[in-house]
Amino acid sequence: MTSLPSQPHVRLTPPTPAQVLGLVTGPLAFALALWIEIPDLGPAGQRMLAIFLLAILLWVTEAIPLYATAVLVILLEVLMLSDQALIGGLVDPPSAASWFATLANPVIILFLGGFLIADGAHKFGLDRNLAAVMLRPFAGSARRSVLGLMLITAFLSMFVSNTATAATMFAVVIPILAALPAGAARTGVALAIPVAANVGGIGTPVGSPPNAIALGALEAQGQGLSFVGWMALAMPLMLVVLFFAWWFLTRRYVPKGLPLALRLTAEFDRSPAAVLFYLIAGATVLLWLTEPFHGIASSTVGFIPVVALLATQVMSGEDLRRLQWPVLWLVAGGIALGAGIGQSGLDAWLIGLVDWERLPLGLLLLLLVAIALGLSTVISNSATANLLVPLALSLAIGLPIDPTAVGVMVALACSLAMALPISTPPNAVAYATGEVPTRAMVLSGLAIGGFGALLLAFLMPRVWGALGLL
Amino acid sequence: MRLAILILEDEPPVREALRRDLAVFARLVRIEAAEDAETAREVIEEIRAAGDRLALVLADHRLPGTSGVDVLIALRADEDTRAARQVLVTGQADQDDTIRAINDAGLDRYVAKPWSPDALRALVREQLTEYVLANRLDPLPHLAALDAERALALVRERGDL
Repeated sequence: MTSLPSQPHVRLTPPTPAQVLGLVTGPLAFALALWIEIPDLGPAGQRMLAIFLLAILLWVTEAIPLYATAVLVILLEVLMLSDQALIGGLVDPPSAASWFATLANPVIILFLGGFLIADGAHKFGLDRNLAAVMLRPFAGSARRSVLGLMLITAFLSMFVSNTATAATMFAVVIPILAALPAGAARTGVALAIPVAANVGGIGTPVGSPPNAIALGALEAQGQGLSFVGWMALAMPLMLVVLFFAWWFLTRRYVPKGLPLALRLTAEFDRSPAAVLFYLIAGATVLLWLTEPFHGIASSTVGFIPVVALLATQVMSGEDLRRLQWPVLWLVAGGIALGAGIGQSGLDAWLIGLVDWERLPLGLLLLLLVAIALGLSTVISNSATANLLVPLALSLAIGLPIDPTAVGVMVALACSLAMALPISTPPNAVAYATGEVPTRAMVLSGLAIGGFGALLLAFLMPRVWGALGLL
Repeated sequence: MRLAILILEDEPPVREALRRDLAVFARLVRIEAAEDAETAREVIEEIRAAGDRLALVLADHRLPGTSGVDVLIALRADEDTRAARQVLVTGQADQDDTIRAINDAGLDRYVAKPWSPDALRALVREQLTEYVLANRLDPLPHLAALDAERALALVRERGDL
């Protein structure tokens, strides 16, 4: 009997102490928020507060998977805040369909297209071949090579998930690491990849989930941003932080004059399917970049490759199945949470809790960026954005600043958190190579993330204003 | 949780030679040895009790008492050790035993003695990677012992959660 019965063997792991904490305090806070009489908060706001507290505790403790919390948020909004709510008493509640629709929010559609293109790029080896071609001008010294690696990683990461980019680049880099002397130089090269993947993710709306969460929340407020509009806001910071990171990592870890031969061969797939893919992906990116000329929304553009790739059979149902649905649903949960906080009136109530006007705007922005950076250092960037973007946007109502700036700032701050192996999946991969001691990651993460955060809080709003972007 | 390799070999010099050739893995995975079926069971029990997972068995065919092939067949029948990759490292398995190992134990690889150390290390890396992929384990804690390119494909699917 060679064909052994292969039943799926699901091993349920016992919860960690942190998870137990979440499982106990989450429902408790939920029940308490519903039970206590809260002045100035209507029934809808009170129900939303209960959902929000539950979501905070579950996302922070990861008591249940992040995407499970996301769908729980949507379900609870249907059961408690819709026209199909189990208990009535709501004034003009949104339809249940509108809560379910967050799963197909335009931003989710945009990501669907982004994911399919990214998966196709990997399927046809485009990511690796592009990396090989783009690395050529940087061959020679190790310092130059690191710059090349970082620029390519960041470029790929603008269109491909940070995790997939890091996986692709480490597959390229691990053999290179072995050719370097053990120690600092290897640490520097191994750190360059996750740093560039994390930072590159801020460059476009499809680069990283926090961007989508911010975009979705802004769109719900009628403050939509085009694809290039986002790039104009985020790319200056991305490039400055990237060059700073290169300078920091090479001065610290990579000796001057250390040779490093990067010989990667590019063999572009020239099969008809691959060529079709290049055309469709290229056209999509071109349409994204030219939105101001044709006016087709980026989410609509994102749906074109979905249709074109499936219709031409360049991508199949199997590729569709393998998409990162958990990430899409996590983003949808964040959008649903933000919409709920806005529609239930919870936002106005939350803002009323603190006398924000007595805090200087600069300090407030710094605080916001610091909280986003700190929280996403220890929990998922996307979960952090899910919790903080709606809060920050409600806060922005009462501030003399464009809400778009605030939403984008929080999203970017989430991506700058990279001080621990658990901060982001690319960091976890770098740590797993065994070439990066935790101390080195903490140091570079604090230096690079801190540098980016300070620029973000103090300089970027002025730059955006001066450039007339907001 | 660590991955564990079990060397099942009754001759001490051969056992040590296998250990020595796999020394690069010692820092990354748990390597245990047993000289017969009885000790193998105890070692596997220890691995399980420590929360580690038996990923690979390198078994000689000729053992005192129960043969290596019979041990492999028993491991394949047991729910807890079924997933472990199996390699027969032997110089003198006859055709019938080899057929039984392949058909009844679902043998994954056959290594003839004497082996080439480099080829053995490559084979162990490949088999550990197969184990991690087949069981959809998180490859990162074991990355240095795996074929990085294939293991990273699992990471890629995870996305930016």
